[in-house]
Formats: sequence, structure tokens, C-alpha cells
Amino acid sequence: MLTQFEHFAVTEMMGKADTPPRANGTLCFGSEWERCSFGIALSLAKSGYFEWDEFRDELISAIKDWEDAHPIDRSTWNYYDQFLTALEKAVVKAGIISPDEIREALTA
Amino acid sequence: MTELFHYRQDREAYSAARVKALQALLIKKGVITDKTVDTVLDFFETKMGPFNGAKIVARAWVDPAFKERLLADTPAAIAELDLPEGMAGAEGEHMRAVANASDVHNLIICTLCSCYPWPVLGLPPYWYKDPTFRSRAAREPRAVLKEFGLPIPDGIEIKVWDSSAQIRWFVIPERPAGSEGMSEAELEAFVTPEAMMGVAVAKAA
Repeated sequence: MLTQFEHFAVTEMMGKADTPPRANGTLCFGSEWERCSFGIALSLAKSGYFEWDEFRDELISAIKDWEDAHPIDRSTWNYYDQFLTALEKAVVKAGIISPDEIREALTA
Repeated sequence: MTELFHYRQDREAYSAARVKALQALLIKKGVITDKTVDTVLDFFETKMGPFNGAKIVARAWVDPAFKERLLADTPAAIAELDLPEGMAGAEGEHMRAVANASDVHNLIICTLCSCYPWPVLGLPPYWYKDPTFRSRAAREPRAVLKEFGLPIPDGIEIKVWDSSAQIRWFVIPERPAGSEGMSEAELEAFVTPEAMMGVAVAKAA
């Protein structure tokens, strides 16, 4: 039995379409914003703002959309770009933040 | 090519700005605090990961009596160490250690990633759950290890252990040559997740 949410959340993703990048046994972040996206998503699910599985559904569909749009040249692939897109969608869907608020914050 | 590079940098900057905006909004609304991300990541960076396995193996290298206890009753021996809670509990309780020696090399395989003891070994690599790896490692471990860059001489027996929901195995690799007189902390750096799976050996840097 997995008693720690963090443990459960990452174990669920192993070997699946949304499996996160890792190196030498640890999660692998290319930059601070990637690490930050991961931490925010996990913390929101842990606090019950949305289900981890709901977030993963968004992530899997974001990955599929990207793959469909890039059938041949996938050199610009970055897992956490899709992760961030899924996080924004999940946050809006959960009613925590509106799309307008995100747009405003980005242009501010 | 140059254009691609610019695109990449712009995208990085744009993604970073999106996360920053999102984080600021969530903090403003009181949903998270400025400590949240570090608290969550702390779990992966300091509590559960391959550094725990490295501590166990390094202790076994410097303390032969501990190594014996680790092989005889793995959970009890792990509980002796000052590791984060849960290591010898819910996930670690069925752990069993096997030791490499001059005449035997151990290899761990696993059908289900949910069986993988990552609080100790770290997150499994992508190929670990691959059915091809698993079936070939069970059938022809010597050939598979050679492909991993680890040729095992014919005189050395290879034992393959299949982790399950009941027992999760890990390997105590042999202490590397050239590490004589080193401290436990120094030795920990030589213990890699791959060495604890048996697809590599520990090497002194």
C-alpha cells in the first residue's frame, strides 16, 4: 500500500504515456520552471483541488495533441511544456483561476 | 539552425513566464504558499530516492556484521539506519538484499513498476518495465548484461531475481577497488541505482 501521496502519484505514471523524464533514479528537471510546474501540480492534487487522475488525463491528451501536431520532426519536444499546458487546463477546470486571470497575469 | 535556437530560447522564456504567473496567482489566492514547491520536491530530493539505497550499501561495505544482518533480515537491518520514515515500513517491508561476490552476480527484474522499491532505489528507468528487457533478462541474462556494457565472465554465476508484490529485491554490489580507507559518505557516491539493480557494478570515481 502506498501511504504517501507523492509516492503514489509518481508510481502511477511509471511506464505510462505520461511517464516523466528521470535520470539516475530521480526526477529530471531541465530548469526551475519545470520543477515548479511539477511541484504545483502535485501539491494541488494532494490538497484535493483536483484528482491526480484528472490532471493526468489532461497531460496525456496534451501529449497526444503535441504528437499529432508534430508527426515527423519532434526535436522541439519538451515533456514539461505539455505538463504546464495540462496544469493550466486543470486549474481552470477546477475553477481556481479563470482564463482571463491567466492572460492578465501574463501580460502584466 | 540558428532560427531553431531562437525559437527554443523564446519558448523557454515563455514557459518560465507562464509558470511564474500561475504561481503568483495561486499564492495571491491563498491556494499555495511560496514554500509549497520546495516542500513537495523535498520528498523526492531528500526523503525517498536512490540516496537511501546508497546509504544502506555503503554501510554494508564498511561493516561486515551489518551486511550479514542485511542479508539475513533486510527490513530489520534497514531499520537500524537513520533513514526517513517509511523506508522499513509500508513500502520497504518486503525488501530482500542479495550480495554480489567474486563468484556470483545478481540481477533484479520486475514485471510491475508498482513493485519497484523506489524509496530505496529511486525511480525505475524507462526500459525496466519493457517486456523485452524482462523476458530477455530472465532467459539470457549474460547476453543482456553484455549489452549493458557489463560482460560477466563464464566462471561467474548469474542469479536473476524477479521482484513481486511480496518481495522486492536489491543488489549489494561489490565494494569497488580503489575505495580502501574511504568514509561511508565517500562510498555512497559510488552506489548507483543501476548497480543496485545489477545492470552495472559500483566503480570508484
